[in-house]
Amino acid sequence: MTDRLRLTGVTRAYRGGAGVRGVDLDVQAGEVHALVGLNGAGKSTLMKLMVGMLRPDAGELAVLGADVRVAGPDRWARVGAVIEYPLAYGELDGRTNLELAARLRGVPARRIRPMVDDVLAELDLHRYAGVPARRMSLGNKQRLGLAAALQHRPDLIVLDEPTNALDPAGIILLREALLRRAADGAGVLVSSHHLDEVARIATRITVIADGRVVGRLDPDGVDIERSFFALVHAATTSRARS
Amino acid sequence: MNLFRAALAVEAGKARAARVLWATGILLTMGVAALAGGMVAAVRSGNAEVAAKMGPAAATGDWSALLAVAAQITAAGGLLAFGVGVSWLTGREFADRTISALFGLPVGRGTIATAKLAVYAGWALAVSAAVCLVLPVVGLLVGLGLPTAADAAGLARQFALGVLTALIAMPAGWAASLGRGLLPGIATAVGLLVVAQVVAIADVGGWIPFVAPAFWALAPSRATAAALVTVPLVPAAFGVATVWVWRRLQMDR
Repeated sequence: MTDRLRLTGVTRAYRGGAGVRGVDLDVQAGEVHALVGLNGAGKSTLMKLMVGMLRPDAGELAVLGADVRVAGPDRWARVGAVIEYPLAYGELDGRTNLELAARLRGVPARRIRPMVDDVLAELDLHRYAGVPARRMSLGNKQRLGLAAALQHRPDLIVLDEPTNALDPAGIILLREALLRRAADGAGVLVSSHHLDEVARIATRITVIADGRVVGRLDPDGVDIERSFFALVHAATTSRARS
Repeated sequence: MNLFRAALAVEAGKARAARVLWATGILLTMGVAALAGGMVAAVRSGNAEVAAKMGPAAATGDWSALLAVAAQITAAGGLLAFGVGVSWLTGREFADRTISALFGLPVGRGTIATAKLAVYAGWALAVSAAVCLVLPVVGLLVGLGLPTAADAAGLARQFALGVLTALIAMPAGWAASLGRGLLPGIATAVGLLVVAQVVAIADVGGWIPFVAPAFWALAPSRATAAALVTVPLVPAAFGVATVWVWRRLQMDR
């Protein structure tokens, strides 16, 4: 197994006390690892830490084998992420947005055009290639942002609530795109509220509550929703007691 | 991979498509041209009220009057326009929420900020040149005849004033980065304008970088030219500060 991402004892507190504490987590090559939890559980905070949007107070965080604080351009060129808001500039059309995203990820100029054509076809975005992003629906903007994060075939993919605003067709296209990349050796980490959706693609499911990893779910389990709430309830109850 | 070149290509592409930069540049160019041309035309038609308001520098109604009025408008309006431009370049990523997509990239945020400032410099040069291209046309239209060599030197000063005004507006870009939005930057540009006006009206502190270019453009002399040495301190300090804010950025608020 090859580590694409590894968190060891990662802690990051916000003013007021919220945050994540002592989180251990890894994403291996060829797997889709899902992070599930209620709103405010700490999923987005963890993902922000993974791409440097936040710096950890304690613990180690390695991206493609390199400490996140010192990882160089060669490492980041192999990462694709969408966290909070997609890379979609309103004044630019779909194709130009994707071309600029490729430049920012260090893709050589000669490779950009065919790469953008491929991802426009893969995520069924061709009809939006010439449409300014400000005229796209929220779902299509999200699809555009996902295309920007996936088009360069990264080895590590980090997506925060990627199915938000996507229509059913978009969800299926994304699912297939992620499974293809995982089959090619990428490590994929997705966060989600949608347990059914996660169960369809995840190799592993980690449950997070109150800023901590509180357990795992079996993607093939029969009543995944019940198991999820049991884990969250047990974790919050034991924390309240202590 | 050449990361700065990539960042510059991206920022230039965004700037070319940006209505804000086009509109601000055109408004400044046409505003300076229309106001300066209108004032000089009014003076030349014998409007004593306008001549009195514009003061002795503009009362002659010739090329030097046109350039003096243009310099006054550029010093004030330019500070605001360039402040809006640099605020938009840096603050729009926060206002549009695209800042979160600028993490986890091979191109670092310090490089992106540097590219933004380079694009700002290019835009400011283009706008300053556009003003200097339009002013001679306005002069001919209001009947000033062909400019002399001295008038051409005045036009070169007008170009330099545009560029120097853009440099002293750079604190607005830093404020937009620190305040994470357009409004802190624009408020800073307005604040700089107020400070410059107060210093100019009080006729003190000609060495202060925020008024030195205007003093020099309106009354070029050895003393006012010497004061220009303070001007590069502003872009140097606030350029470095802006890049530092971007490098150290954490999305924790």
